[in-house]
Order: sequence, then structure tokens, then C-alpha cells
Amino acid sequence: MYRKALTALQRFTLRLDVAINRVYPSDWNPLYYTGGLANLFLFILVLSGIFIFFYYVPSLTGAHPSVAYLTEQVPYGGLIRGIHRYAADAFIVAALLHLFRNWFTDRYLFSRDSPWISGMFLLIFGGFVGATGYILVWDERALAVLGLFDDMLRAIPAVGDWLASLLLGGRGLSEGTLPRILLLHVGPASLLYVLLWWHYVRLRHPKVWPPATWVLVSLGLVTLLAAVIPAVSGAPAQPGTRPEAMPLDVFFLLPFWLAGLLPPGLVVALVAVTLGAGFVIPYLGREAPQEMGVRHAGVAQVIDGNCTGCELCYYDCPYNAIVMVPSPHPGLSRAAASRKLLAVVIDSRCVECGICIGACPFEALELPSLLEADVTRRVQEAVAVAEAVRA
Amino acid sequence: MSTQAATVRGGAAPKIVGFVCDWAVATADLVDGAGRLLAYPSVVLIRIPCSGFIRPGWLEDALKAGADGVFVVGCPYGDCLNREGNYLMRERIDQLQRRLARRKVPAERLQMLAHGLHDREAFLADVAAMVERLQALGAGAAAGGPARRPAAARAPAEEGGA
Ligand code: HEM
Ligand code: SF4
Ligand code: SF4
Repeated sequence: MYRKALTALQRFTLRLDVAINRVYPSDWNPLYYTGGLANLFLFILVLSGIFIFFYYVPSLTGAHPSVAYLTEQVPYGGLIRGIHRYAADAFIVAALLHLFRNWFTDRYLFSRDSPWISGMFLLIFGGFVGATGYILVWDERALAVLGLFDDMLRAIPAVGDWLASLLLGGRGLSEGTLPRILLLHVGPASLLYVLLWWHYVRLRHPKVWPPATWVLVSLGLVTLLAAVIPAVSGAPAQPGTRPEAMPLDVFFLLPFWLAGLLPPGLVVALVAVTLGAGFVIPYLGREAPQEMGVRHAGVAQVIDGNCTGCELCYYDCPYNAIVMVPSPHPGLSRAAASRKLLAVVIDSRCVECGICIGACPFEALELPSLLEADVTRRVQEAVAVAEAVRA
Repeated sequence: MSTQAATVRGGAAPKIVGFVCDWAVATADLVDGAGRLLAYPSVVLIRIPCSGFIRPGWLEDALKAGADGVFVVGCPYGDCLNREGNYLMRERIDQLQRRLARRKVPAERLQMLAHGLHDREAFLADVAAMVERLQALGAGAAAGGPARRPAAARAPAEEGGA
């Protein structure tokens, strides 16, 4: 089932690309830059967030008016608030598209689990930052979200109560609540950048920005949305009451909406299972590499005697799987005799693509199941076969 | 165009070796057991793990061994499964084209193509174009090898390149 579905989704994804690539040059296909787009929106969020931060007052009576002041009195304040909100939605959309794309195109398997796992953390913290952001507004919805959040935390077996006190500062509201929420908004948002470092560790020159056109389009889009549909607060929070209905932000507040319908414990379980599934995706594996028709070429091997330490493979490996170490001894070939460095492959990072083989001008790298000798033999055979056709 | 090419060539189809990335265009039902393209039997495909796996030297080897042309197929630019393989390969082929140009090997003999898993029509169209161009160019690629016929080749080659 899972395999069939994934194969179908992969077909769909790639067919969609074929269609999109008819419209743009392929290296502009926005779906090739979903990670870069998420990063761009995150950057917009940070800048607009810093602006908002200067005006925000984290107190029970001060929060709502300070947001109103920002929106109504500060020049461009309302616009920037809108940009902050829509960039957040766009960020989650881009991150989810990125997740699905990487999932459907097999970019998470085998040695490539590290960006996936860090990506899951990015998603969790990203969602958390969004939810706490809605609480900061301190309108009726904020209060409802906070209440549901509290319920959900306390529904977690064993550690729930403790966790709720830790995060929200004891039962009930106090002047400590909003500063905590502010910290829970800004802290994890900053943590995203630490996670991004992890996300990129194994990727050589990650494409962190989309092409300039898409940067401008994205900026234009969030600005336009902010101008046309301004972000607004609801009525100020009235502690002790709960609103009957609240406007829903599908991108961040889905779990809270569910928590309004289902018992909080069940929602916590659902969220936990979904996220847990996300974490095991790379290890469910679709199939063994052989069955997938994916070549299991073997981890690239450096032929010590031939390596000259020229670093070309180190520059070209897209997964940072090659490191250059001081050479412990001279190489055997003439070119390698006076080398200073030696290439070493980090097995756990190598995805067996063979790009380093193409990069090495000194025949010092091989893929174990597709040796240079195999390739040259096949080339000879191919030419002979083509010749035979002609004769 | 094709009639013109045929008159220049007078028969024999150009021998072409194509390296195809496992992740790029699916060719399982386009080839016979020996790797010949059913539509162009003088085009023989070799599957490789990634377009970036190819050492430019192997392309030269193929020409030396008597192929009239070689090409490498990677994923669409921007979507290499291995992130950068196709860009790196495109650069390497550009370099090789420049290097071989000094030995009077026309750039048409070395091609970088980029087609995704389901892009087979576009792939076949590119192969057809290459076959035509090489037909117009005439036989004898061999880098620094046997006879070339630049005079006969020039005019149609320019047209075919469009
Ligand atoms: C939330 C913010 C995120 C940002 C800003 C982000 C950004 C990026 C960027 C810029 C790349 C490099 C793309 C390239 O150069 O080819 C990347 C790669 C990757 N991301 Fe994310 N990402 C995020 C979330 C996620 C999530 C939620 C997942 C999945 C759970 C994920 C999974 C991956 C994987 C598997 C790769 C490696 C792709 C490859 O090997 O080609 N990322 N990400
Ligand atoms: S095969 Fe080479 S280029 Fe590819 S990941 Fe392994 S070391 Fe890097
Ligand atoms: S490209 Fe080849 S010679 Fe150069 S450092 Fe890498 S393995 Fe050594």
C-alpha cells in the first residue's frame, strides 16, 4: 500500500514538474526551491518580528493595546504585522511542500536521513512558534488557544502537569504568563537557525535562496496580502471566559481546533502519532535498495596510491562526504608523490552517487560495484553494438 | 531538414553512446536487451547512478573507440536527485567541448541533456535532433582520429544546431 501510494505520488510530482518546466526554464521551477522559499519566509519573519518586538508589551493588560497601537498608530505597523502573519503561513506551506517533495522524490532515504530528521524538528518548532504567536496577540482567540494548550499539555500522561507548569508558569494566568509565551515564541524561533545548521551540515552549498524573481514574487505576495486583508486582533481577552467560536488559522491552529472538538488527550495522541510517523519515515524504507531498482553502488573508495590531494572531489561531493586530511604518507603514482593532503570518504554520509568519481582527474576514486574498468568495457561494447547495427 | 541530412549522409546512422542517470528519464521500455534504443538502433544507452558519475575521459574514450557522438542525460536542472550532479556534469562537458574544439572535434558530438523520469518524449526528440545533426556532420568523430569532413558538414550543422 505504502509503496504503491509513494510510487503514484512520485509520478504525480514529477509529471507536475514536466508541466511546470514547460512554462519556466527548469532551474526556475519554484517547486525546486521549496527549502529556499521556507528559508526566505523565515528570514522575512525574523525581520518583521524584530520590528514588532519593539512595540510589544508582554503583560495581561498591556499586550492587546500594544498590538493595537502597533497596528493603528505606528507608520506601516499594520502592514508589517500583516507581513509577519502571512509570511508565517507561507513559511509553513513552503516547509510542508518541501517535506512532501523530498518524501515523494526519495530524497530522505539511506544516508540522507539527517536532513529529514532535522527537518522534522524544524517543522515541530516552526508550528510551535506559530501557535505561541497567536497567543501573544492576547485577544479572545489567544485565550482560547492558551486554554486548549494547557489542557493538551496536562493530558500528556505522567509529565503533563509538570510540563504545563514549566511552560505556562503554574495554573491560571499571572503576570508571568505572557513573558513566558514571548520567550516560547522567540526562543524556538531562534532555535530554528541552530536546527538549520544541522539541516545543512551534510549538504554542500544548499540552495538557501530561491532565484531572485521568486524572492520578489514572495515578498510582493505577503505584502499584497497584508495590505488587502490586514491582520487584525479579536476582542481583548477576558480572563475567565471562553469564546464560543474562534477564527481558525489552518496552518497553525489545526490541533487547537481539533482540541475544541475532541478530548485533549486524543488530540495529543494524534499529534504524537503523526509526528512519530514523520520521524520513522526514513527508516520504514520503501524497499531495499536492490528492489527499488536503485543501484547499490557502494560507498565511494579512495585509491590511496593515486590520490594527489587536489581537493576536486571535496569541492564536488554534494553531501560533504569527503574530507581532506593531512596525508600520512606519499602516494604511489608520480602525480601523487608529493601530495600534502589525502581525500577520505565519510561512509555514513556517502549516498553512493559517484559524483566524486567524475570529479577526480587522477583515477583515485571508485564505486565498488561500478568500477572504472566496468564502465570502459561497457563503452567499448556499446560502440561495437552500434557498429553492428550499421554494418 | 531530414531529407537534407539524408542526402548529405547517404545512409549510415551515426553511432552514439548515451549515458543515462538511473533517476533521469526512464528508458526500460525504450531499449532492447543490448541497450539499443528501439527508435534509433545505432544509439546505445548505458545506465549510470548519476550523471555526475561520468568522467569526461570516458566520453573521450567513446569517441576514440569510434562513436560519432556521446551524450549524458541527467535530471532537469535544479532537480538533480543528488542535488548538483547535472550542473557539475554540464560544466565538465562544456570544458571538454572547449578542449576538444582545439582538436577540431565539433561540440555537437558531445551533448548534455536533462530529462526527468517521465520526460521521454522530450528525450527522444533530443536524441532525434542529435542523430540528425551528427548525420549532417558525417562520420569519423574519433578525437584526433580518422578523417573528418568539415566542408560537407558546416552548413547543415549550423541549421541542425537550432
Ligand atoms: C522549516 C524550515 C526548513 C527550511 C528553511 C529548509 C531548508 C532546506 C534547504 C535550503 C535545503 C537544501 C536544498 C538543496 O540545496 O537542494 C533543504 C534540504 C532538505 N530538507 Fe529542508 N528545510 C526545512 C524543513 C524541512 C522539513 C520539514 C523536512 C522534512 C521533514 C526537510 C527535509 C529536507 C531534506 C530531506 C533535504 C535534503 C534534500 C536533498 O538531499 O537533496 N526540510 N532544506
Ligand atoms: S559517491 Fe562520492 S560524491 Fe557521492 S556522496 Fe559519496 S563521496 Fe560524495
Ligand atoms: S579528486 Fe582524486 S586526486 Fe583529487 S583529492 Fe579527490 S581523490 Fe584525491
